[in-house]
Amino acid sequence: MRSGAKVAKMTENNTDVIQGTLDMLILKTVSLEPMHGFGIGRRVEQISRGVFKVNPGSLLTALQRLERAGWLDSEWRQTENSRRAKFYALTRSGRRQLEEETADWNRRAHAIARLLKAES
Amino acid sequence: MSMWRQIGYGLRNLLLRAEHDRESRDEVEQYLRDAAEELRKDGLSAEEARRAVRMAEGDSAVLAARVGSYGWEGWVRNLARDVRIAGRQLRKHPSFTATAVLTLALGIGANAAIFTVVKSVLLAPLPYANANRLAAVQTHFMDTGRTSPRITGPDAVDVETQTRGVEAMSLYSGGKLGVQMRDHAVYTVVTAVDANFPRVFDLQPIAGRIFANATTDAGALVSEQFARDNFGSAEAAPGHVLHIENEAIPIAGVLPARFTFPDETQIWVAYNFEPASKSRTAFNYHAVARLRDGVSFPSVQAEFNALSQRLQIDHPGEDRGKQFRAEPLRQALTGDARPTLLLLWGTVGVILLIACVNVTHLQLVRSLERQREIAICKALGSSAFRILLPVAVESLLLSVLGGMAGVLLAAPALHVLLAMAPKTLPRSGEVHIDGWVLAFTLSLAVIAALASSLFPALRALRTDPADALKNDASRGMGRRGSGVLRDGLVVAQIASTFVLTVGAVLLLHTLNVLMTRDMGFQPQQMLVVDADVPAHSLADTRKAVQQFDAVFARLSVLPGVEHVAGIMGLPTGPYGSNGNYNVRGGLPVQPEHAPWANFSVASPGYFETMGIPLKRGRDFTAQDGYDAPFVTVISESVARQSFGDADPLGKQIQCGLDSDKWMTIIGVVGDVRQNSPAEQPGPALYMPMAQHPGYANQIDIVMRTRVKPLTLMAAAKAQIAGINPLVAMRFTTMDDLLDQSVAVQRFRAVLLSCFAGVGFLLAMLGVYGTIAYSVAQRTVEIGIRMAFGAERSAILQGVLRHAGRLASIGIGVGLVLSMVFSRVVANMLVGVSALDPLSLGAAALLLLIMAVAAAFAPGWRATRVDPMAALRAE
Repeated sequence: MRSGAKVAKMTENNTDVIQGTLDMLILKTVSLEPMHGFGIGRRVEQISRGVFKVNPGSLLTALQRLERAGWLDSEWRQTENSRRAKFYALTRSGRRQLEEETADWNRRAHAIARLLKAES
Repeated sequence: MSMWRQIGYGLRNLLLRAEHDRESRDEVEQYLRDAAEELRKDGLSAEEARRAVRMAEGDSAVLAARVGSYGWEGWVRNLARDVRIAGRQLRKHPSFTATAVLTLALGIGANAAIFTVVKSVLLAPLPYANANRLAAVQTHFMDTGRTSPRITGPDAVDVETQTRGVEAMSLYSGGKLGVQMRDHAVYTVVTAVDANFPRVFDLQPIAGRIFANATTDAGALVSEQFARDNFGSAEAAPGHVLHIENEAIPIAGVLPARFTFPDETQIWVAYNFEPASKSRTAFNYHAVARLRDGVSFPSVQAEFNALSQRLQIDHPGEDRGKQFRAEPLRQALTGDARPTLLLLWGTVGVILLIACVNVTHLQLVRSLERQREIAICKALGSSAFRILLPVAVESLLLSVLGGMAGVLLAAPALHVLLAMAPKTLPRSGEVHIDGWVLAFTLSLAVIAALASSLFPALRALRTDPADALKNDASRGMGRRGSGVLRDGLVVAQIASTFVLTVGAVLLLHTLNVLMTRDMGFQPQQMLVVDADVPAHSLADTRKAVQQFDAVFARLSVLPGVEHVAGIMGLPTGPYGSNGNYNVRGGLPVQPEHAPWANFSVASPGYFETMGIPLKRGRDFTAQDGYDAPFVTVISESVARQSFGDADPLGKQIQCGLDSDKWMTIIGVVGDVRQNSPAEQPGPALYMPMAQHPGYANQIDIVMRTRVKPLTLMAAAKAQIAGINPLVAMRFTTMDDLLDQSVAVQRFRAVLLSCFAGVGFLLAMLGVYGTIAYSVAQRTVEIGIRMAFGAERSAILQGVLRHAGRLASIGIGVGLVLSMVFSRVVANMLVGVSALDPLSLGAAALLLLIMAVAAAFAPGWRATRVDPMAALRAE
């Protein structure tokens, strides 16, 4: 059921979100406060300072996947400019998942960093 | 649990499809609006912002479709859409659809019906406890290669006690007998069994109890059916007393209805076989054994082989060349039906092939029409998968329709099949359509449809789009390849149909030979009564003979009756005996080839009644009584094989029927075919009933009548019951008995003819289709030829010649196939060889006529082509 998130390259400076990390980025973003689809995408872009760009097809599909996995809850609500939008919030098991994925990611990143250091 | 959530979400989305779609759309639109809003903040106009977002993110509908089709339910929805499209396509081509579905239904229905029988009879485990550990114990004679299904008493004891792999073994022996109850008598299958019988089958009574010890515990078990028919219910039966052969036997228990081993037995009588016979040459019993858990058949057989060798040393005379065999019980029960069922299975397989060829043909025509569409898809860059998917879905839909129609056809076909099946078909009561059959049918349908559709589709796929777009098939410029392919399919069809037709013709020929064969007696106008007088002692049986004499006298004066006689050993009848005999003053015999004959016990007047010619000497008379010198009448074969040219009259003969007294030959009669018209007239010894009363209380009364035999039934019944009300009777006619004796051959012949007929129809359709298609394609060409002055008859001839050529090639190929397969039917044939030129010729002619006839309609249509109209269409 899970398909790897594919993110289109927009400009030269943008980078594909690394396979499998899109879920973690979404969970992290939503962990701050409930957000709707575009908000999540924009936040990922902003915080990564434009390094990561997320396209709507992948993002909305990923949101469905995460909701189905039980990590997100969704709800239709009014936005600040009083439009209807679907807001996603982190569930308890979503938080646990985020912690696991973060720990896992850190472990890998450190390992890679050490390897690179040893090379040079 | 994530899987449940997956299913839950999926189902909700499927059920509330509209809402789900709206939500996806709303979410995507909201996203894109937000994105546009963002750009407007950077100073773009509303229009520019919308266009920029559209450039970057794509069309909102496409996005919504992508987001909305997430999950397994998206797959389901895609499939449903493809199926809907396929359904619409099929509806748009109703004649294609109807022909393909019907063709598949015929092929699949026939296969489902035959598979049901094959599965239930040959493949399904027996409905007994530990069925796969049950074995029939048989005696194989190594010098003759013959296997007897029976075993002698002492050998059986040795097998049971000296084989470790055998857990329990039971002897049994039975047949149809008269059973007297308090107020009525019935004629049913009674089997004498020893005390181990319930143990071997692990029988549990549904009422009463199982007999524990045959030596001390006389009693009978009856089937649930018997109990219900005769006592109202299973519970009511125990305690009632049955009189069988003048013995009073109380019913101990009732067995469940599904247990009828052996041969539809209704009553099992506890019997102590042990002291019965010490002879190792009297093959009196059948034996069934249960192997120990975990012991394989080969290992038991190895033990049997070792035992056989020991016994050959211990009993060099009697057990010479004997080898005991443990055959799985299912195989032993169904072995005889096997060749017939496999023949039928093969036949319906061929039918399915022919049907598939037809559907392939139809699909090929469709795919030619589709070629442009496929070419366009290819030109636009569709993948092979995307092009083939709709074709595959469409043919799967066809196959499901065909399969369902096939199952609907199979149910009544099965009914007819079972009604037609010979009574000897084992396990016929267990035949039913079940999940296995449905699964088999479905997979058959899918394979059939895919096989017949993918090949044309792949072909279409290979074509170069540029070519296909240029080349409009409907203008008669079809490339050569497709025509050759279609012709090839028709040739294959005709070849297969030829093989089926030859088989049918040969089997029908056989049936005809059997039905018109001289049996050695006159079977017409003959009433037959199976009569069974209860008798236990010699006094009883001698009294029975006297009573029968009285019965013959009374029956012979009934109006319409010409002659009456009695016989134990009526040809094709229920009773009979046979064995070796000795002669004095005859030709020398080698000890291992003792002469053999059928043994019959007859009343005076039997030969005259039957119309068996008396060649020499005299018939039995009333003077040949029990105390008079023993006499016998022999058939010509006995005279020939034992006395050569010498006069057999007055010579002495001895046989092992019941007494070892020497008998004087007083007459010679013609040979008869004893068991069926399929066998050769053989040697027979006839002995008078009065001198062999032990074999004279279960006889057939034969009456030669001037009127329709069965019209005398009531009168005869009254006369017999008037002399002894306890005689169990069953009425039939000699014609019926003969008919039944060829039931297997008739079953085969009729079924194969039906299947050949179906194949014939399908092949006809195939020829018609291919010729009609090629005529339609060549309309322009024909128009041009006619414009240049071609005769209409020449056009018609050309079309017919095409069909004739296809048929000839098909017949040629079929001939070769028939030779290859002749071995399969060779030993089912009587009086005709598997390569009988007349039958082959008849089949060839039939198919040639069929092909030309099928081509006639399109050929005639070709001659009606209006040259002007055809050219204008250009």
